[in-house]
Amino acid sequence: MTLSAQALDRTKPPHTPDLPAFRLPAVFESTLPNGLQILLVEDRRFPLVSARLGFQAGSKYDPEDLPGLSESVGVLLTEGTTSRAARQIAEEVATIGGALRADSSPDALIIEASALSEHLPTLLELISDVARHAAFPDDEVALRMQNREQELLAQRAQAAFLASEKFAQVVFGSHPYSRQDPTLASIHRLSRPALSDFRDCFLVPNNAVLVLLGALPPRAQLLDLIRARFLDWQPKAPPPPPPPRFPVPRPSLVLVNRPGSVQADIRTGKLAVTRADPDYFSLLLASTILGGGASSRLFMNIREEKGYAYDAHCSLQPLKDSGAFSVATQVRNEVLAAALHAVLAEMKDIARRNVSADELADAKNYLSGAFVMRLETQGALASQLAAVKLMGLPIDYLEKYTSRLRSVEPGKLRAAAGRYMTPKNAALVVVGDAPNIGPQLRTFGKISVEEAG
Amino acid sequence: MLAPDFRIPFEKYRLPNGLRVILSQDHSVPVVTLYLIYGVGARSEQKGRTGFAHLFEHMMFQGSQNAPKGAHFKIVESNGGAMNGSTHPDYTDYFEVLPSNKLALGLWLESDRMRGLSISEDNLANQKEAVKQERRLSFDNQPYATAIVDRWPELAFRNWHNSHSLIGSFEDLDAATLTDVAAFFKTYYAPNNAVLVLAGDLRIPDAKRLTETYFADIEPQPQPPLPDLSEPPQTAPRSQVCPDPLAKVPALVVAYPGPERRSPDYYALVVLDALLSGGESSRFHQNLVKGRKSVVQFEANLGWPFASPTDYKHPANYGIFLLYNPQFTGPQILGQVEEEIASLQQHPVAPAELERARTFLRSTRIRRLQTSAARAALLAQYELLDANPDYINTELSFLLGVTPGQIQAAAAAYFLPHRQTVLDIQPEAQ
Repeated sequence: MTLSAQALDRTKPPHTPDLPAFRLPAVFESTLPNGLQILLVEDRRFPLVSARLGFQAGSKYDPEDLPGLSESVGVLLTEGTTSRAARQIAEEVATIGGALRADSSPDALIIEASALSEHLPTLLELISDVARHAAFPDDEVALRMQNREQELLAQRAQAAFLASEKFAQVVFGSHPYSRQDPTLASIHRLSRPALSDFRDCFLVPNNAVLVLLGALPPRAQLLDLIRARFLDWQPKAPPPPPPPRFPVPRPSLVLVNRPGSVQADIRTGKLAVTRADPDYFSLLLASTILGGGASSRLFMNIREEKGYAYDAHCSLQPLKDSGAFSVATQVRNEVLAAALHAVLAEMKDIARRNVSADELADAKNYLSGAFVMRLETQGALASQLAAVKLMGLPIDYLEKYTSRLRSVEPGKLRAAAGRYMTPKNAALVVVGDAPNIGPQLRTFGKISVEEAG
Repeated sequence: MLAPDFRIPFEKYRLPNGLRVILSQDHSVPVVTLYLIYGVGARSEQKGRTGFAHLFEHMMFQGSQNAPKGAHFKIVESNGGAMNGSTHPDYTDYFEVLPSNKLALGLWLESDRMRGLSISEDNLANQKEAVKQERRLSFDNQPYATAIVDRWPELAFRNWHNSHSLIGSFEDLDAATLTDVAAFFKTYYAPNNAVLVLAGDLRIPDAKRLTETYFADIEPQPQPPLPDLSEPPQTAPRSQVCPDPLAKVPALVVAYPGPERRSPDYYALVVLDALLSGGESSRFHQNLVKGRKSVVQFEANLGWPFASPTDYKHPANYGIFLLYNPQFTGPQILGQVEEEIASLQQHPVAPAELERARTFLRSTRIRRLQTSAARAALLAQYELLDANPDYINTELSFLLGVTPGQIQAAAAAYFLPHRQTVLDIQPEAQ
């Protein structure tokens, strides 16, 4: 950089050097005899350790009559074990400067934990205890049912929630990816036996990956600590995942009636791909250009030029067995048809014409920048490593992420968009006041009207 | 236990035009944060000009001499960065987080708008509307927001600088003229009223040269006077019930005036807050959420609702906000909070519990220091409010040194019945 030697031209953005070469920290992999996969990463910036214990136990494994079971198992794991009451767990976590919770997604249930590094042994003891010996005490189950019911009522009051729910049902059909949240009935059916059964089936070592990242003790000592907490955990064959059968995309138009809505919530899109698919990086870039931020085509068109909505964006949801692409916007009732035409035209266009070199370069920079920023915290890197393993991706997925992004060319992007992002055979869901907005939808296809439950 | 187990390096100097610069180098991830803090916030506003600090934050994204409207956002995003600005009671801040090779780009953008904005009738009118729209969406259409933004300061404070709505009124915004806006910019957005922090993957000599290149020739202005924020001592409790048509669950705010920043009591109250509200082992969580099942969610801190202990400036409150189970009444919840307070006043905290609170404070701080954006923000806030960025390294030891006796004494000195302010926010059937 020899800026001082040049005459400074303030009228143009300065030229900047290339991003310095950067390598992710090395990942050490191992597997215990009981099948527990282990990933270890040294990060000595701060006296912290972060852990993830992830299981193939997401909501797609919920019994058909108990959607939300995996989610409740996750929430209740830390609310009491056979040897510790909920309060004791909370106090021990606080004593080690820690955090401990479990979260469920469509594919996985992941225990997320961290602590000051000097307390790693206690952290491992707590993770092991909640994963293996959760007791699901009656009073905690009752409190969970009460709180989740209130939360669900609040969610169902929101049009965006109803739109996402219906969109998943249309796109994923009878596959359990279509049921990502509980129902009032399933919350009322929650019981200790159901929670324990789920734990016994799925929370087993041969169905899990343990990621430890941070200021770790020497390798041999660390492996001893891990063995002491996890080696006597008995493996057991988990039930198979639901067959990855998904409906062939076909045109569908569902209007969910939400009486009194002054806005119409739009979701449109279709079945897409997993992260392992050769089209994934092309689609990620295409989706960024189409609706990935405040400079995207949808945002510029729907919000800035036409003023139909406060926000318009699209998203790619890559799952383990499939994925979905969707556009989302919430518009004033009176401009519904016009906004829909504009959205569909943008979806057509990105599959018809090559994106410009500038747009593509910007999208590549945007995504690579977001990627390096996520490396700043231990928690974000630990979560990404756990996801790589749980999604069945190669361990160099993160290392190669940026170069795979960089290698996408306009033709390849257009072809991928043509396969997954056009309005042809797309699912279209609108949530709003049906009598009021229904007439505007007539030209978009055969409408099936449903009541918001 | 008291030994510091991290040290954030930094170097601080001042350009001849008064701009304070802090550089903090860390090469572990190729990311750099530029954080620019201006010593002007909502409490600096004058009567008839409420909402100016926030309106200005919007104007800062409306284009400058060489970066036209929209360019700032687009340039940062297309170079892989993230950015934002926000208005606080005592300052306004702007940041860019960038891949580290893009440092010069961020400096170009920030110096261009410190040098001069594109202030025209058009974009002023446009941003007045944008601020109103933001108010409708983010405040007027959100449960609890109007009560907290408009009602709460009026109830809790008597000095107009503290008690006016920090987001401003539509009338004052409409009355703002180009001349007002230009004068506000000239006075407050001067290099001598700002702190620039660069943190992350940078080389000190390059960063110094670039900072000099981009900022050194911006003209300083006379230092604006600080507003007189002093509050008359509160002599009687204040309380109000406020209906909220958007709320589904009732909420209670309980607050007491807090101590001077950096006084011994300030540290005692931060530790006391960790005992009451820090995490799942805290007294509020264990006794009210779990034990009595009366509280659904809570938050509390010194500086609530618009500031936090790190950017707390006296006069402000220690505030507690609780969403509560509608089977209880506001007075019942207040009684439960007062019981927790009485217990802190009457009994010294047990050693194990204090140790947990200390560990909570230490681990939360260490976690927060992981990102360059958080390190930059803290360095800037400590420079602006304390003229001492080294608090990023030393503050924790002051907190860890607080004793049970100091906590008990602070609870007795600050949580006085006649200094209590209570707002009960009740869902209103539509």
